[in-house]
Amino acid sequence: MGKQLKKTHLYEFHKQTAKMTEFAGFEMPIWYKGIIAEHMAVRRSVGVFDITHMGRTLITGAKSEAFLNYITTNDVAALTPLSAHYSNMCNEQGGIKDDFVLSRLEEEKFLIVYNATNRTKDYEWLVKNAKPFNVKVEDVSGNIAMFAVQGPNAQKALQKIADLDLSKIERFKCGWTKLAGVESFVSRTGYTGEDGFEVFVWNSPIENPANAVKVWRAILQVGEELGIEPCGLGARDTLRLEAGMCLYGNDIDETTTPLEAGLSFVVKLKKDAFIGKDALTKQKAEGIKRKRVGLTMLEKGIPRPGHEVWKNSEKIGHITSGTFSPVLERGIAMAYVSMQHSTEGNAVEVKIRDKLTEAQIVKFPFYETTKYGYARQK
Amino acid sequence: MRVLPYDIPDKLYYSKEHEWVRIEGKEAVVGITDYAQKQLHEIVYVEVQKVGANLEQSQTMGTVESVKSVSDIFAPVSGKITKVNDELVESPEVLNQDPYGKGWLARINLKNFNKDMKKLLTAQKYTDYIKEMEE
Repeated sequence: MGKQLKKTHLYEFHKQTAKMTEFAGFEMPIWYKGIIAEHMAVRRSVGVFDITHMGRTLITGAKSEAFLNYITTNDVAALTPLSAHYSNMCNEQGGIKDDFVLSRLEEEKFLIVYNATNRTKDYEWLVKNAKPFNVKVEDVSGNIAMFAVQGPNAQKALQKIADLDLSKIERFKCGWTKLAGVESFVSRTGYTGEDGFEVFVWNSPIENPANAVKVWRAILQVGEELGIEPCGLGARDTLRLEAGMCLYGNDIDETTTPLEAGLSFVVKLKKDAFIGKDALTKQKAEGIKRKRVGLTMLEKGIPRPGHEVWKNSEKIGHITSGTFSPVLERGIAMAYVSMQHSTEGNAVEVKIRDKLTEAQIVKFPFYETTKYGYARQK
Repeated sequence: MRVLPYDIPDKLYYSKEHEWVRIEGKEAVVGITDYAQKQLHEIVYVEVQKVGANLEQSQTMGTVESVKSVSDIFAPVSGKITKVNDELVESPEVLNQDPYGKGWLARINLKNFNKDMKKLLTAQKYTDYIKEMEE
């Protein structure tokens, strides 16, 4: 079979219960029961994902904040200990090197969690740029298992095995707790649009998976009465897409800037020099020429990456992610389109196998926020 | 002897691209196999060429999509499409539920079945083919 794929702590569980796929060098579950069933479990109640394949690096030292402010686009000084934010790292041209969640564990200690596909690239970029700041950059990916417990009942399920009062952890806050007796770090973050937690099973080397397996099984057990489902990468993708969140490599990469991607809320141009600042400042002044938008299909047909977007017999952009939305029960997509056509409500066409299929530009997230997502009405 | 978890009815012919063929007089009813629907899982969209389309064996006659994947459907026989299963437009999940029955895709007026047959497999040969593939 050629190259050896990496495994997570839960490999045996996945292998017995899921259909597996290769992703970023890992052998990962794509689905257990099915993408739609798993997706709806998260929207309606709770689901749990093994996301150990993601990259985790600790930054420690007196100048950690200054270093991270230089290498990332968001305002790291605004992060208080035990809080987290979404952010980007850019190249000098303002292109996105990666998107990630940064948590401040202590005044001088940070945890950055980035995309599995960029593990080597990001670590090398961090190390390269850290030198003048004299901070310690430590890849701890192999020593920490990581799960996401997501959905409106995530807190209810996880609380049953946590000694910390999780109701006190607000969105984008973090805390240390034992989970099923195992030392863990939790943050109220996720990649589904729903309320939920990301769980880090600390000191859990891949060679000794017992603690990680114990926490995973405990989550499934306490979630059982809530209808918890183990969820694979398939549902992870459809959930993030419905929520309007970017997938690195599809919707953003080094040729797209945060301003084009609609991520200007994590670009703080008023802070001191950071990598990409000059290019982004210039782009902001000149105005962007294209923009990431959401599309919902008005006809049958599923938009897929690479499909062209048309308007009045003219090509105006292309799809970067597309799928069947389990909530809307129709095709949805993200696309980059030229600015003059990017208005919400604009009728456009997606070229699916040579057929122009009707679609409409919509805002993110795709679902009704009163019914789904973390801000839903209880 | 290993038993496959797929339904492969005896009286049908099969293509290596996982379509099935049932001969009814001068026409063939065609669809995708139980193996194909299980591999695709959760089919959410089906598109078949229109009635009147002339197909050559192995030519693309449609598309089937699951949440994550897009797959071509290849004509297992040559001939003209005389009927397509319109129910699949609104209920593509029927392909998962009943691939050899309600999930039929199209009826094709056979042009040269004797020639087409050379490329098709019997149930036994198709079973062996899948076993070989899964090893």
